[in-house]
Amino acid sequence: MTSAPADAAAPATVRPHRFRPELRGAALIWCLLAPSLAIFLLYRVLPLAWNLWLSFQDWSPLHPAQFIGAENYAEMLFDDEVFWQALWNTLIFMASAPIGIAIALALALLVNADIRGRDVYRTIIFLSYPLMTVAVAIIWRWMFDERVGLINYVARSLGLVDHPIPFLNSFDWALPSVIAANIWQMLGFYMIILLTGLQNIPPQLHEAAAIDGADALGIFRRITLPLLRPALFLCFVIGILNSFTSFDLVYVMTGGGPGRATELLVTYIYKLGFAQTRFDYAAAVTVFFFALLIVVTGVANRLSGGDAGAMRLD
Amino acid sequence: MDRGARWPIHLALVAVSVAMLVPFYWVLKTSVSGDNIFAYPPSVIPRAPHPFYYVDVWYYIPFARYFLNSVAVSAIAVVANVGLNAMAGYALTRGFAGKSIVLLLFLSCMMVPFQATIIPAYLITGRLGLLDSYLGLALPQCSTIVCIFVFKASFEAVPSSLVDAARIDGLSEFGIIWRVMMPLAKAAVATNVILSFIWSWNNFLWPLIVTRSADMQTLPLGLARFLSYQEDTTGALYAFCVMVLAPGILLFLLAQKQFIQGLAAGATKA
Repeated sequence: MTSAPADAAAPATVRPHRFRPELRGAALIWCLLAPSLAIFLLYRVLPLAWNLWLSFQDWSPLHPAQFIGAENYAEMLFDDEVFWQALWNTLIFMASAPIGIAIALALALLVNADIRGRDVYRTIIFLSYPLMTVAVAIIWRWMFDERVGLINYVARSLGLVDHPIPFLNSFDWALPSVIAANIWQMLGFYMIILLTGLQNIPPQLHEAAAIDGADALGIFRRITLPLLRPALFLCFVIGILNSFTSFDLVYVMTGGGPGRATELLVTYIYKLGFAQTRFDYAAAVTVFFFALLIVVTGVANRLSGGDAGAMRLD
Repeated sequence: MDRGARWPIHLALVAVSVAMLVPFYWVLKTSVSGDNIFAYPPSVIPRAPHPFYYVDVWYYIPFARYFLNSVAVSAIAVVANVGLNAMAGYALTRGFAGKSIVLLLFLSCMMVPFQATIIPAYLITGRLGLLDSYLGLALPQCSTIVCIFVFKASFEAVPSSLVDAARIDGLSEFGIIWRVMMPLAKAAVATNVILSFIWSWNNFLWPLIVTRSADMQTLPLGLARFLSYQEDTTGALYAFCVMVLAPGILLFLLAQKQFIQGLAAGATKA
């Protein structure tokens, strides 16, 4: 089994392994896992438990914790209009995800066609995704600017509006504007996921359907869309996650304003914790925030027929 | 598809490409001219472009300091991710008691977005005495579950005969990871480097929470802070913006294949 020279060359290092190898092996494996486990316990598991505990306390860094039952939750549900506004905005943000995914699906079909320069198109469309969101937010503040923003300029040149729209200072326009900027950044990412899904569909299926006399629309509806379901579902989960985590964009573009017009749950939690130092109450909102996220992704998974994770992206 | 049907596809894609690129152009133009600030209608081509806003940036803000901070934090995160994730990924390729519990824990942790942990994460980092330090800035991102699984999948593809041979030759487990596994898992290393770099370089929320002193601020914080004390309408803000974006765009264009694959692999990381 072993070659003689190898055994002869390293007898000293081989010997310890023969001494209760299972125990040594197990200890070593736990040593290898320990740093990562420590980080996840410290920054994922412990925070969840701490949030839960804190949400039932009256606590600030200045005075000791006191158990107050569900008072924080009662305040959140019955006595806090900002919370409901932030929840509503988060849900609108989430509900807008299908718009971006639909555009991305059209783009994926286009760049999947056998045309010259499609790699260039893919690169351009994907480019905005890995960029720093803070910088993207500043770019879009500039685009939406009331006096010199490009969007108002184009709209006025085309005669669509008489007076420039103060997009980010308007109660009606601020949230749609932030959502538009978000879609602009996410579009390429959705497109790549859907493109991978499209390329995983065996071309024989399309050929067979075409021979059977199906038209392009029929092929798309009967073959492409059903087989694309795992990819579409993955996009939708990313869209949900995105509506819960788009802190940078909102914080820099509008700061949650005007008023609370663009306040999301995530920005509200940040403000409660670090602007108002209400850690206990922020923890209660966080517990709700996390529970809602789990429920929504769970429902999405159920609706998709349990396709979560069926998508492989290699 | 016949050739005649292609020009509408090009037309649509060119229109979308323009929509994707115009915001960059608008910022670039403002950074070298600023001339549309008080002029209406804004000019599409910059009048009398000049580099002075780029010079201004160096006077207005400690750009070098922000840059250095960002590099330091990202370097810690990248090195830690590659090392720790490779170790954990290798451990998960082996059978051991409690493996299913560890896997369950990892998969559950993947569902916890960082944004749901900020209050306790701040308190924990405070107890550790790491507020306002490079290590404190990097620590929550020093190991990533998605990336552990990337390593695990890659290591599992290594033939076990190779590992056995190395063990018989007297290589320690660390030796096996470092000298047998890693050279065969270059794609996984690249994914790890790119993902951990992007996540740490672009990170805004956590530095916003942990840094106290102006000396410890990273580039995204510097950019947001600059925005808060300069008007929107200064060319210097957009020059700063371009200086922050340029390295990222360059890096992406150089390694776009790895970027796209890596980011797709980390799709649902929050």
